Amino acid sequence: MAHQAHPYHMVDPSPWPLTGAVAALLMTSGLAIWFHFHSTILMLLGTVLLVLTICQWWRDVVREGTFQGHHTPPAQKGLRYGMILFITSEVLFFAGFFWAFYHSSLAPTPELGGFWPPAGITPLDPFEVPLLNTAVLLASGVTVTWAHHSIMEGDRKQAIHSLTLTILLGGYFTFLQALEYYEAPFTIADGVYGATFFVATGFHGLHVIIGSTFLAVCLHRQIRHHFTSTHHFGFEAAAWYWHFVDVVWLFLYISIYWWGS
Amino acid sequence: MYRHVFALQQVARRTITSSARRERNRVPEKQKLFQEDNGLPVHLKGGATDALLYRATMGLTVFGTGYVLYELWKASFPQKKD
Repeated sequence: MAHQAHPYHMVDPSPWPLTGAVAALLMTSGLAIWFHFHSTILMLLGTVLLVLTICQWWRDVVREGTFQGHHTPPAQKGLRYGMILFITSEVLFFAGFFWAFYHSSLAPTPELGGFWPPAGITPLDPFEVPLLNTAVLLASGVTVTWAHHSIMEGDRKQAIHSLTLTILLGGYFTFLQALEYYEAPFTIADGVYGATFFVATGFHGLHVIIGSTFLAVCLHRQIRHHFTSTHHFGFEAAAWYWHFVDVVWLFLYISIYWWGS
Repeated sequence: MYRHVFALQQVARRTITSSARRERNRVPEKQKLFQEDNGLPVHLKGGATDALLYRATMGLTVFGTGYVLYELWKASFPQKKD
């Protein structure tokens, strides 16, 4: 049987890039069809296909790394670069929404009354639920660091406890934010204030859900003994992503909730 | 209502950690399965469930491609409103 004479990972042919691309096509076309013809079937089909692609693709990555040993140190270095570049692209994604917020709020137009928050808008009190949410996410940053140290020290029980706590805190944030959305005295349709508020915090909330899911997958893998004290990059990637989500919230809190009120 | 949510969180945590303690390390078995020299690609190497999931996903992909082309073709021609 031939063996490779290099430490890099030459992947097996995979159908998931194709199914993922078709999922993206169906979701975007489906969005257009929904807007114009009120039918959601195409968009739903695309979403189902996306979920199937995601599950199977990342299942295969776990198989390739943990079960087949393909994630050598050089291969892992590539994965690290990849995750860092992805998070950087997400930072730029949020930068756009912060740009939009500051564009409208630093020089409020006469239509808004010439001040910010605009006329007719009752902003949320930054020292009520938003402050609690800040504490929740900061605490989750501590617990995820605790989980990392537990994994590195080979303390299985503490790793599982602290990772579970991190996920619960993420769930608590999502729950509190959903309540805030329900109770808010303004909507996304309330001018530029509503638009910037809900688009920025909405995308952040989506990232909290994604991050919590990533951490939950890591918890599942930690329980099943996938991680060793020296090799647990999947967890590190999830922890990096989680810290990114926390930092975005801090910027949101300072800019939109506090300064913007 | 919030008491129920908090209680659920505690139950979930205890359920997760108590079943986690009993979990035997099955990674060596998985390593043997996925390193077997049978020529199967990684996305099919886990067994029959892999093939089932693959066929379902690819089926949806092929159907979806056809369906989207049909919908886009239909959307390209203005419908007369009567």
